[in-house]
Amino acid sequence: MTQKAAEIEAALLACAAGDKSALRRIYDAESPRMVGVAQRLLKRRALAEEAVQDAFVLIWRHAARFDPQRGAGLTWIYAILRNRSLSILRDEKRTETSDAPLGEEAASEEDDPETVMSKLSDAKALHACLETLPPQRRGLVLLAFVQGLTHGEIAGKLGLPIGSVKSWIRRSLIALKECLG
Amino acid sequence: MSPSPETAPDRDALAGEYVLGLVEGTDRERLEQRIAREPALAASVESWRGHLAAIDATARPIPPSPGLWARIEAEIAAILPAAERGRAKAVKAGGTLSDWWNSLFVWRGAAFAGALAALVLAIGLNGALDRAKRQPLMVAVLLTDANVAAAVVNTYPDGRVEMVPLQNIAVPAGMALEIWTLWDRAVGPRSVGLIDRARTTPLRLDQLPLGTNQLFEITIEPATGSPTGRPTGPIVAKGTTSQAL
Repeated sequence: MTQKAAEIEAALLACAAGDKSALRRIYDAESPRMVGVAQRLLKRRALAEEAVQDAFVLIWRHAARFDPQRGAGLTWIYAILRNRSLSILRDEKRTETSDAPLGEEAASEEDDPETVMSKLSDAKALHACLETLPPQRRGLVLLAFVQGLTHGEIAGKLGLPIGSVKSWIRRSLIALKECLG
Repeated sequence: MSPSPETAPDRDALAGEYVLGLVEGTDRERLEQRIAREPALAASVESWRGHLAAIDATARPIPPSPGLWARIEAEIAAILPAAERGRAKAVKAGGTLSDWWNSLFVWRGAAFAGALAALVLAIGLNGALDRAKRQPLMVAVLLTDANVAAAVVNTYPDGRVEMVPLQNIAVPAGMALEIWTLWDRAVGPRSVGLIDRARTTPLRLDQLPLGTNQLFEITIEPATGSPTGRPTGPIVAKGTTSQAL
């Protein structure tokens, strides 16, 4: 485990014991990247910050549920953030109270599947396994994860039948998992 | 573990779709219940999360706005640490429950439940927020002084409470909306939420009482919450809980 990962896990255990300064340490270390991840999903800065706010409250409330035997602390934190972001994303799309519907807001070019691929060079295993997929199929998986798009939204965006999108993503995941081990 | 007809690749594909966020609605709830029961499925979910974390690491860091930490701090100020929450509940319920709470048997069970819960973090946490679509137990409609419905507060059988705005509420710059509940004039109002703009938000009632005819109100307060711990700003809307039919 890296030193950073160990510090996060120690901080989560301290949060479970009621140490608010530990939550602040996690905030200092991770909040900029968390806002970045939420912004990719939610497009709007204000919504991204809401997701991060809710995620920290959930981390604080449920820190005692974190079990280092079961998974890494950073993974736990980002799973909470993703879940909260996706809930906000689906809720906002349902209600659409604002002037510019969220679904129509353009993703930044940085969040484009192939740009994300190029930034993955540090994660050698994942990068190599994604490379084995045809670019379009790899793009479907990345669009879902990075931008939080549903099967239907991916189909609409790429002009593909939804059934094909579903089965291609499924097959891509099976191939990826086999490659990643 | 319940026997399952699916193959390992089926299971991995399903776990992968779940982590990608492609499993929605009731399918998602059902799957989360399975993850809670089936260690192999839970392990596959955890493995996907571990692998795909590298993609989150490619997100460009964006410094949060200066007020974000203060909002988080204000929200968690109302939450007792988990251990104290348990104590507060046991004390409130009196002798029998505190005996129960202290028994070794329960603690063993709780430790085991804790281990399981870690696997299914997304269920208890976010799933809880998602399930807000279920039938509420009690509802409070919060009216403005012009008798316009500005928000509703829904309470659910599992103890969760949420506030849903029905219209946009103007929040001056540097200010926030604080939500309060009052169940006993002698105790006074308690803060149960702080949000920067009108949006659906879970309210943190935790160990506070909750019943019919309980007052909820929204006031305008500084962005970091009321400095006194009591409402100080103008009341946006208020209303009391009634039993839903």
